[in-house]
Formats: sequence, C-alpha cells, structure tokens
Amino acid sequence: MQPFALNYARPAVDLEATAPYVYDTGLQLNVLFDGRVAARDFALLRELATTTSTAGSKTHFDD
Amino acid sequence: MTVLILTSEEDVTADMVVVHLNASGVPVIRLDPADLTGGVSLSGEYVHGAFRGHLQAADRLVSISGLRSIWVRRPGTAATRAAQPSSWLTEESAQALYGMLRGSDARWMNHPDAARRARHKPWQLRLAQRCGLPVPATLITTFPQAAREFADRYPDLVVKPVSGAHPQDPPRAVPTSRVAPDTDFTAVAYGPTLLQRRVPKRADIRLTAVDDRLLAARKATLADADPDEVDVRFASSDLPWQPADVPPRIAEAVLSYLREAGLSYGAFDFAEDADGTWWFLECNQSGQFGFVEVETGQPIARTIAEWLSRPGPEPHSRVNGSTTRVC
Repeated sequence: MQPFALNYARPAVDLEATAPYVYDTGLQLNVLFDGRVAARDFALLRELATTTSTAGSKTHFDD
Repeated sequence: MTVLILTSEEDVTADMVVVHLNASGVPVIRLDPADLTGGVSLSGEYVHGAFRGHLQAADRLVSISGLRSIWVRRPGTAATRAAQPSSWLTEESAQALYGMLRGSDARWMNHPDAARRARHKPWQLRLAQRCGLPVPATLITTFPQAAREFADRYPDLVVKPVSGAHPQDPPRAVPTSRVAPDTDFTAVAYGPTLLQRRVPKRADIRLTAVDDRLLAARKATLADADPDEVDVRFASSDLPWQPADVPPRIAEAVLSYLREAGLSYGAFDFAEDADGTWWFLECNQSGQFGFVEVETGQPIARTIAEWLSRPGPEPHSRVNGSTTRVC
C-alpha cells in the first residue's frame, strides 16, 4: 500500500548535526568556535554543504 | 527603516545576506516564529483608526510600520518552541504575527500568498508553459493504467514528489529517480504520482532570480555519467557550478513567470539537453542559493541584500478615497 514515489526514498542527511558554529543572538549570525562569522568562510561552507540544495533536511525543505 | 528576516537560527545561508546588510548599515531584525512566545514577542493595537505594532527578538524592538522589507526565508512553525506548545497556540501565533505583517506596507520576498501558490508543482508546470518555457511531458495521476500508457508513449521516465516534500517519519528524501523499464505501476493508486519524460541532459542549470536580476549557474554532466543519476542534488559528480549566460528567450520567460506568480525571488531548475535547450523542471520560491554563490562567486546574497535594502514605501493613509501621505 506504499505510494509509488516512496519506492525511491532514501534516508535523509542531517547536515545540522555536525555544524561547527553556533547562533549569536547579538550579531544575528552564526559564529564559529574561534569567533569568526561562519558565512564569511566559503571554504568551510563548501566542505559542510550547509548551503547546498540537498532535500530532506531541516533547513532545506524548499530547495 | 528595518529589514525583517524570518528564518531559523541555523540558516547560515541567511547569514550571507545579513553580512551584506550589516556592511551597508541597514538595520536588521531576525527572528524565528517558532520562538513565539519565548524569545520573540509581538504587540499591535488598532485604536482611533490607526495601527501600531511592534516585534521584539532578544533585545531588539522594531515597529511594524518601520519595516522596509520582509524576507521569508526558512521560518519555523509559529510557537513550536513555546513552553507549552500546541496546535492551537501555533495557529494563534501564526495568525497574530503574519496577520499584523500582512497589514504593513513593507515589500515581501516572497509574500505568503504568492509563496503558498508557487509551491504547487502542477501550477508551476502550467505557468511555465504559459510563459513559453519548454516543459518535459509530465503526468500526475493516481490511475495505474494512465501511468502505464504514459510509459508506453515516453519509455524513459523519472518520478519525483508532487509537492517536493519529504517523509519525516522516519526522515527520508525522495530524489528524482529514473523509472526502470517494465516497472509495476500498481502503487500509483496509493498516492498521486508525478512521472516526467527524462531529459538526457548535458548540464543542470540553476537560475536564481532576484526581482529582475537573473544569475544563472551551470553544472556540466559528465559524458560517462550514469543515466540513472538524474537528481543533481544526489549525483556524485565533482564538476563545479559555473556562471552561465541566460538565453534571451529564457530570460524573458522567467521574468514573465515571476510577474505572473507575484514572486520577487525564485530559484529555477532547468535541464539542458544536447541541443542546448533549457527544459523547465521547477521553480522553488525559497530555493537555496548559498551553494551557487560559494562555487561561482556570483553576488546572489549581495543582490538579495540590495533588494531588501531599497527604501520602504512612504506611509500612506486613505482619506476620502484618495491616497494621502501621512506626515
């Protein structure tokens, strides 16, 4: 009784679990543990793929 | 005047825009509706024919009439992190917040009504057709026989979710997937199924539209790529996204699509075939852009920040049927 499309489902990837930054309410930005602004570190963003269009995770519901 | 950003804390893509807004000195208040009524508060009064409303997040307080723009990025569901969350509290909080904001004169990216409509993929396909964008032959059906007949006409098919949503119990993703020949379509009867002719592609295109500014990126498909790897989000290719020129006819059609949809932002996905034709796949009204900027260097975040920063509307009131500026 499973809908046809779900025959092609796979486990979602939880990208947020490994993010090495935390939200700073004062700055309104996510900050790395060394104090730098995460969004300025493109190499890190590329490595973490947190800005990537990868369906199924918390911040990527509308890729 | 202030830019309001509705998004989750972990949305580092939104950070990319906040950085530009900060650099240009534009006031920003960022909040997640999920934090009503804990870290986020609201108040609005309708007295003597006027409305005065305020929002507060952490130690920032902003007047709703002082908003120049509202960016609905990745907001959480209202009040889901309240001390005692409930579906009733969520509805109350969402109605209060979005109801007040709908009464403001701020520009939206994107307006909730336009966003809700634009999420419907069947509607997207029809609008794309009307705007002159090539759309691959598509069937959405719960009739197994219709699926079989469609597969006879178009033997090389893909399947994808109609809604773009993904099952959460347990969390799963449903990538666009190739349908094997002689597939049993019986299960089509158990849920609406979107089948589409597979476009043999030589590249994926992500076109990010910010109002009338179009920024396209192209990711080439490897010549020896596995044809079963249809969904670029799950493909193993290491080829980079690179800036691409937008064909004039596509640009015209995309701008028409945005106008018709009432969107100020859209992330369009196309498949480029061997003839260079860009086949419309979908338009995500809040689609990701960070990965494109990170790889191509295209100034998408800055462009969004500039749009959000434009001066807000002059406050007006309606007096005797004519529009009068309020001083």
